[in-house]
Amino acid sequence: MDATSNPRQTLPVIDRILIGIGAVITFGVIPLAGSDYLMDAVLTPFLALALAAAGLNVLTGYAGQVSLGSAAFLAVGAYAAYNLHLRLPELPLLLDLVLAGLVAAAIGIVFGLPSLRLRGFYLAVSTLAAQFFVQWALTKFGWFSNDNPSGVIDAPALTIAGYSFTSAAGRYLFSLAVVTVATILTLLLLQSQTGRNFIAVRDHEIAAKVIGVPLLRTKLLAFGVSSFLIGVAGVLWAFAYLRTVEPAGFNLDRSFQILFIIIIGGLASLRGAFLGAAFIVVFPLILSRLGAALLGGVFDSGVLEMSQRIVIGALIIAFLIAEPRGLIALWDRFRAASAAWTGLRKTFPATDTSRS
Amino acid sequence: MIAASAGVLPLDGALVEPALSAPLSARADVADRALVKRGSGEIQPVLALADISLSFGGVAALRDIDLEVAQGEIRAVIGPNGAGKSSLLNVISGLYRPDRGRVWLGEHSFGHVPTARLAQHGVARTFQNLAVFKGLSVRDNVLMGVAHRVRAGFLRQIAGSPLARRIEAENRAAAEDVIGFLHLREVCDRAAGTLPYGLQKRVELARALVARPLLLLLDEPFAGVTLGEKHELAAHVRNARDSYGATIVLIEHDIGVVMGLSDRVAVLDYGRKIADGTPDQVRSDQAVVDAYLGVAHADETEFAL
Repeated sequence: MDATSNPRQTLPVIDRILIGIGAVITFGVIPLAGSDYLMDAVLTPFLALALAAAGLNVLTGYAGQVSLGSAAFLAVGAYAAYNLHLRLPELPLLLDLVLAGLVAAAIGIVFGLPSLRLRGFYLAVSTLAAQFFVQWALTKFGWFSNDNPSGVIDAPALTIAGYSFTSAAGRYLFSLAVVTVATILTLLLLQSQTGRNFIAVRDHEIAAKVIGVPLLRTKLLAFGVSSFLIGVAGVLWAFAYLRTVEPAGFNLDRSFQILFIIIIGGLASLRGAFLGAAFIVVFPLILSRLGAALLGGVFDSGVLEMSQRIVIGALIIAFLIAEPRGLIALWDRFRAASAAWTGLRKTFPATDTSRS
Repeated sequence: MIAASAGVLPLDGALVEPALSAPLSARADVADRALVKRGSGEIQPVLALADISLSFGGVAALRDIDLEVAQGEIRAVIGPNGAGKSSLLNVISGLYRPDRGRVWLGEHSFGHVPTARLAQHGVARTFQNLAVFKGLSVRDNVLMGVAHRVRAGFLRQIAGSPLARRIEAENRAAAEDVIGFLHLREVCDRAAGTLPYGLQKRVELARALVARPLLLLLDEPFAGVTLGEKHELAAHVRNARDSYGATIVLIEHDIGVVMGLSDRVAVLDYGRKIADGTPDQVRSDQAVVDAYLGVAHADETEFAL
């Protein structure tokens, strides 16, 4: 039928061009022309956090299950990949990456079981158990960190099919490729019946049950997919960004950070996860540069650091009062307005149709 | 034979003619279904309740309810507030487990109806308070009504396997059919939560109809809609029976609409069935008049006949 809009429809020409330009810049121009600082300290952590936020958004934004255990699944992914590489050195690194995601998914499904009985704050509290349990287990059992006394692991060199990705540009490219593939697959999932089931369970669980949506399977799938993505993000965080990690790095603060990313970026939007991650990573950097330039002579760095946090917190509150649906709603409004201005495009749908 | 096996039904957009010409041919379809008989020769009711009792704590919500709903009829269940109407619907859809009695859906009988398998048994329902999926578009809401037909696993859905694509295309065709039938075309890309109340009710009806249920349960479909919308919605309900061949059980407060719409009316009061018959029979029944006019209990006179 002509009115049927297939989710796999071809994108408008302008979107295709934009995606093409974006791909050339991100895969070509930045690695060649970007500084190491930009790739190392800004873009690589941005990519890892954006993927983790996309994972949490699948669970919280789409399927409506609140989780405070994101950092735990980051840690599971990181330590699983480390151990797979250490103990099964014959496996290629990319397989380690996928298997680490699957390990995180399995742990996520186990900690998702309470979601059958609990929701909202109660579920959030039970996912805290994942947060504390994983951190404790990684510190307590030396096996996970190859008997390092403080649980610290050093990531192996990123080598795929003989090519080394250890330079700043290499690690950035590796992260970018992984995040791109994972995001596209997630987008396809969310546009399928499974994605609709997630939202149905979120919006009206009883109606979904009456219709015949399998609640147990749908919720556990959301936990599994979410933890898989966060686990893969954890591998990027440990292997491509920090390269030396300890369990304490995956504490509750990190879980909250990822939760804030999806709230600021916009719930139930993959693009929102990317916008939110960009905001969380870049904004403090800009603010600290600005603060140092303007007030560096007046206050010491400790005071500046604290006042930055206060400014960021205040901005987040002000922003969420102005636009509770997050940055992505602002972005869509801006695009709709500019489209109306130029008359180039018809109305832009409010749902996700393109990548970040 | 009729209830459980979906294969008997005209499934998956078999009926694609425009709504205007639909009633005639569809009536024949309804007649065909009505002819499906039990081995013994008697016509099997689509829904039968036998001796249903339900209580919450010490309060009896339903007492010894018997009800038979014949193929193709529009059956109203009315009664004052607290008479047990919603409890009855929740027992039929398995959200409540009755203390006693059995629910027959076609030839299957249940002590506790399995809610998760309602769709497979050809039963769909709407809710008293809106239960649309607010964050989904109208089209996606309607597509949810056939979610149970998606047998492809999520990996196949990601990969777009032939099976997944075929089911998706069938479901989309069925959804477009109902969207046209209920005149939702103009709003089908909008998020359901952004629509006015009356339209959301129609979206919920579309979601229930898309699977072409044998039995459609409507929980107060006319509550909270304007008079104009009420007549429109009543026409849609009648069309749903005529064109889609659904047997309809509806719960309602608004006696005026119900009497014109229903083939038979059952009246509940304090959890008991006090009358059951054609609208005319019920209207002249003394017990019903008493229940509504408050002879028996003066605080329940919400609606006068």
